[in-house]
Amino acid sequence: MKTEMTLGQFFPGESVLHRMDPRVKILLSIAYIVAIFLCHYVLTYALMALFTLFLILISGIPFRTILRSLRPIVLILIITSIINLLMTGGEGEPLFAWKFIHIYEEGLWRAGFMAVRVILLVVSATLLLTYTTSPIALTDAIESLLTPLKWLHVPVHEFAMMMSIALRFIPTLTEETGRIMNAQKSRGSSLSTGGLITRVKALIPVIVPLFISAFQRAMDLATAMECRCYRGGKGRTRLRAYHLHFSDYFMPCLFAALIVAIVLGNKYLPDLVGWGYSL
Amino acid sequence: MKILEVEQVSHLYGVGTPFRTEALKNVSVGFERGLITGVIGHTGSGKSTLVQMLNGLIRPAEGRVLLDGKDIWEKPKEIRSVRFRVGLVMQYPEYQLFDETVEKDIGYALRNQGLGQDEIRERVREVISFVGLTPDLLEKSPFDLSGGQKRRAAIAGILAMRPDVLVLDEPAAGLDPRGRREILGGLTRYRDKTGTTVILVSHSMEDMATYCDRVVVMNHGEVYAEGTTDEIFARAGELDSIGLDVPQIAHVALSLKERGIPLTGTLYTVDGVKNALLPLLKGRKTP
Repeated sequence: MKTEMTLGQFFPGESVLHRMDPRVKILLSIAYIVAIFLCHYVLTYALMALFTLFLILISGIPFRTILRSLRPIVLILIITSIINLLMTGGEGEPLFAWKFIHIYEEGLWRAGFMAVRVILLVVSATLLLTYTTSPIALTDAIESLLTPLKWLHVPVHEFAMMMSIALRFIPTLTEETGRIMNAQKSRGSSLSTGGLITRVKALIPVIVPLFISAFQRAMDLATAMECRCYRGGKGRTRLRAYHLHFSDYFMPCLFAALIVAIVLGNKYLPDLVGWGYSL
Repeated sequence: MKILEVEQVSHLYGVGTPFRTEALKNVSVGFERGLITGVIGHTGSGKSTLVQMLNGLIRPAEGRVLLDGKDIWEKPKEIRSVRFRVGLVMQYPEYQLFDETVEKDIGYALRNQGLGQDEIRERVREVISFVGLTPDLLEKSPFDLSGGQKRRAAIAGILAMRPDVLVLDEPAAGLDPRGRREILGGLTRYRDKTGTTVILVSHSMEDMATYCDRVVVMNHGEVYAEGTTDEIFARAGELDSIGLDVPQIAHVALSLKERGIPLTGTLYTVDGVKNALLPLLKGRKTP
């Protein structure tokens, strides 16, 4: 019905980022977050931004799509920036002063840094993970990375299976909800009219059938899995076995170099350049 | 006279995404009062989109839907009153059952209409006889019914509104031949008794041939053909070419005609062809 839903936000493609091992990608996202928090100087931030730009370019995902992923955090961005702008005290004269509002140069820098930090965090997470990794690959990778927990008797495989099934059924249940809502609207239910209480009451005829069909689906799926002799993770082999390729070794090296550059840059660049602001 | 009309309606899904599809292209079609009109087309022909426009579930991007000559979207806030007048039975309607008892579930639309308890009781009892449910089922939970009974209860929930136009999207889908006959036959009886206009969506040409007075053929979001059932089935060969399954007996009749046998009359039901053939055969025996 409605194909407007792109949940999971996965964009199939053939780029280096797409083909990388999902486990490596998860680890690199963590490294990336560490790298962002290591940045303290305006030029190291610039380096980080350049590197992100490089990742966007090799991913082959259009800029507009990336910008769209930022839309939900615009409000957070504005609020953090304003708070940083107002709350940062500074030495010397304020740039702007009116009643209790004092804005210092330090505040401007800090607000800028925070905004860039949040933007880079979101862009990298979506780029490395959701945009270029299918949900299935992602669950596989999480399962693989959490394998050590099995020694502590954590049912890692079962959790991963639950996650894959849940992800698989989100679009199905969304479609089903739409269908049931239409059926009840046809019987005159007031889902989009009336006061709050009428609307909440009108949800019952939608939720009950939805739950019933979800349970039915769960039972059917369980039967189907049993028919195919599913018995949990023990001794199970995989359809998609992941092997490390060149880029899976190359990208971590690149990230390591980036982190070294950032640490050194933080330390020596401010004196060398003699300009800009350092946290 | 036409009770429900669709005027130059176009509709797109997924505007601004790579999944953009044109579901309906400049469709104009009318439905005659008191007749059973069949809408046929294969999957993706736009018939479900069309049907959901008839009771205002989908607002057409372009064009108008007229009920008794009045645009149903004239006052968007009052679209609910249109839904009571144009009753829509969606595909697999048994998934809409939710209430504690069958009686309450059938009465759901009536409570939404704001009718009194006595009126609701009376209407529910009247309507179950049309769909072939027995009164002892009314106190049961709808989830304890069999598949076929659930379907009937769901259809009863729409009939109870006493709509002027009854629209059914594949009401017999997934039923065995006997269940099909009972549900579709019940509709004909309902129409004969109440004079309700019925719009029946199906992809089965056999159903069209047996139950419909008029047929609208949809293909790739457009109206391919429209007319009385006789007119439509006279073009059986053409329908075949757009991928619709013409009843086997219509094929037989068509090839007989091609061989020069002068058949006339209803040539798409077994009975019709029998009636056309018998006199010819008799004529041959007694020259």
